[in-house]
Amino acid sequence: MTPLLRAVGVTRRYGDVEALAPTDVELGEGETVALVGPNGAGKSTLLAILAGALEATGGRVEGDRRVGWVPQRPAHYARLTARENLVLFAQLERVGSERVDALLERFDLPADRPSGELSIGNRQRLNVALSLLAEPRVLLLDEPTASLDPVQRRRVWEVVGDVHGAGGAVCFATQNVEEVVHANRVIALQHGRVVGDTVEAAFG
Amino acid sequence: MTNVAVLLRKDLTVLRRSPLLLVALLSYPIVIALLVGLVAGYANAKPRVAWVDEEGLPPVVAVGGHRFHIQTVIDQVSQQVTLVKLSSREAARELSNGKVVATITVPNGFLAELGTTTSSPQLVLRTTSGGLSQRVTEQVQSLVYQLNRKLQAGFIAANLREVQLLEHGGKFGSYDVLGLDEMDGTLATLPQNERVARLRQFVRIARLALAQTGNALHATANPISLAQPKHKGRTWVLSAQVQSYGIALTVTFLALLLAAGATAAERDEGTIGRLRRGLVSLGELVASKIALAAVVGVSLAAGIAVLFGIVVDVGGVQGGQPWPRLPLLLIGVALAAAVIGAAGALLGALARESRAASLLAVLIVLPVVFLGLVPRGALSAAYWVSRFLPFSHAVAWFSAALYDTSPWRTLGIETLWLLGIGAVLWLLARRAVRTLSA
Repeated sequence: MTPLLRAVGVTRRYGDVEALAPTDVELGEGETVALVGPNGAGKSTLLAILAGALEATGGRVEGDRRVGWVPQRPAHYARLTARENLVLFAQLERVGSERVDALLERFDLPADRPSGELSIGNRQRLNVALSLLAEPRVLLLDEPTASLDPVQRRRVWEVVGDVHGAGGAVCFATQNVEEVVHANRVIALQHGRVVGDTVEAAFG
Repeated sequence: MTNVAVLLRKDLTVLRRSPLLLVALLSYPIVIALLVGLVAGYANAKPRVAWVDEEGLPPVVAVGGHRFHIQTVIDQVSQQVTLVKLSSREAARELSNGKVVATITVPNGFLAELGTTTSSPQLVLRTTSGGLSQRVTEQVQSLVYQLNRKLQAGFIAANLREVQLLEHGGKFGSYDVLGLDEMDGTLATLPQNERVARLRQFVRIARLALAQTGNALHATANPISLAQPKHKGRTWVLSAQVQSYGIALTVTFLALLLAAGATAAERDEGTIGRLRRGLVSLGELVASKIALAAVVGVSLAAGIAVLFGIVVDVGGVQGGQPWPRLPLLLIGVALAAAVIGAAGALLGALARESRAASLLAVLIVLPVVFLGLVPRGALSAAYWVSRFLPFSHAVAWFSAALYDTSPWRTLGIETLWLLGIGAVLWLLARRAVRTLSA
């Protein structure tokens, strides 16, 4: 299995607090990894470091930079419409406008309403849509279904299935044990340390 | 389109869609500029000075045979200060609690000494040691100078009456003065001989010399006099200095608040993490906030300058708005706003939250502006601190760009200052923004 993204000895400290102990993680083609653990275990920190959104205090991240990142809290401009948010990040990702139209259609988003006025579910869908702009080979999701209803949750898992099906790698953080069924590998974190790494044949 | 331009367009769109914020951002600094202007104007108002009359000056005083109505003279000469009559005790108390900025005391024996003309009587001036003392001292010196001029006129008039008595004759106390006119007539009736001819020649020379005495006395009393013809110049409120301060204050407020708020908002909205994933470098992120400050600053300053210019032109004020200098002014505004924008980005990154960033920006901008308003002579430490902040350099830049006949040297020096301060702020802001997504 070809590794698409690899973290080597990444750590993160906030002053004296060690949020993430030196950690090695490798995401390979066709892998869907569930990051599990209680609050404060370091799941979000590890995902943000893998996505390049957070600087590691130590260690390095190597591999494919076409990484899609769905942060736990929707990350877009509330005063811009869903379309404007997508166009803005498409310009920064050097992606054409046809991709924006495709994502608006796929996620059935109200294109011309300020995103701050969207429902929580729509905001989270916009959050996911933004992560798919550059057609990433690696998708990192931080508790992506936390505020979604069952229908919307199913859509998210469809996206995960698409990336997986295209030979990409997916890593998602969850506190919901039932969602582990969508993964074929589970990494357990506690107090900023990897305490378990199990490959399962749950997916497909 | 570059990443900086993409982010700048986004920030401008966000600003346009926040009309309340936009109105507050544009009007607030203008209101503050006006208030500062009013305070500065009040600072130019006449300070209260206590007038302590220990002598008990009568309403009318005769000096050198010339009668003075004291209050009229004081009213005429006290255009620079407001004189308040107080007892010496009240004056001392008000001086100590700051209700008056100085006391002028007319000591006992003042009039007697004035009448002798053998020595100069003294008025006693007491001031506090505050920043106004030098200014009040200068104004009281001016008052004493003007009083002396009035007294000189009286003395000269009295002297001239005596000279006229010598010329034309008349009563001087109990004496009947002959006068040169009558002396010449008497000499003309005498048998003419060499001695009489010499006496008549002396009388002619003496009359010619005495005829010049008035001019000579005036010229000696006032070797140089100051003529003050009326001139239709700018009023204080339309002065070049006020325009420079007004634009600098407005741009400083706006640029600092905007850049600080926009930088911190990237964290509030959670977008900083998305941007930092290799999409936008830290330098580009800081540059976009600096560009936002510069673009909005230039727009607002252009509006203020044009409005100010129209008022000056419509008012027919001499030396009106130098319209050809407007582009030069706007270059300076862009530079100053960019430097202040870098400071704003630094504040926004340090505050990490837009409300805190805005509060911090307001807390910082006021002392920065007021430091820049402190004159060098008033408090040199404040002046030197302000030299390392952008506001005073922005004021100097704008003032030179608008009104200096040859502004280039000043513009060069102030540009170097602004670039130096801007470079330091840029580096600090870039470093601070690195921690923003943490």
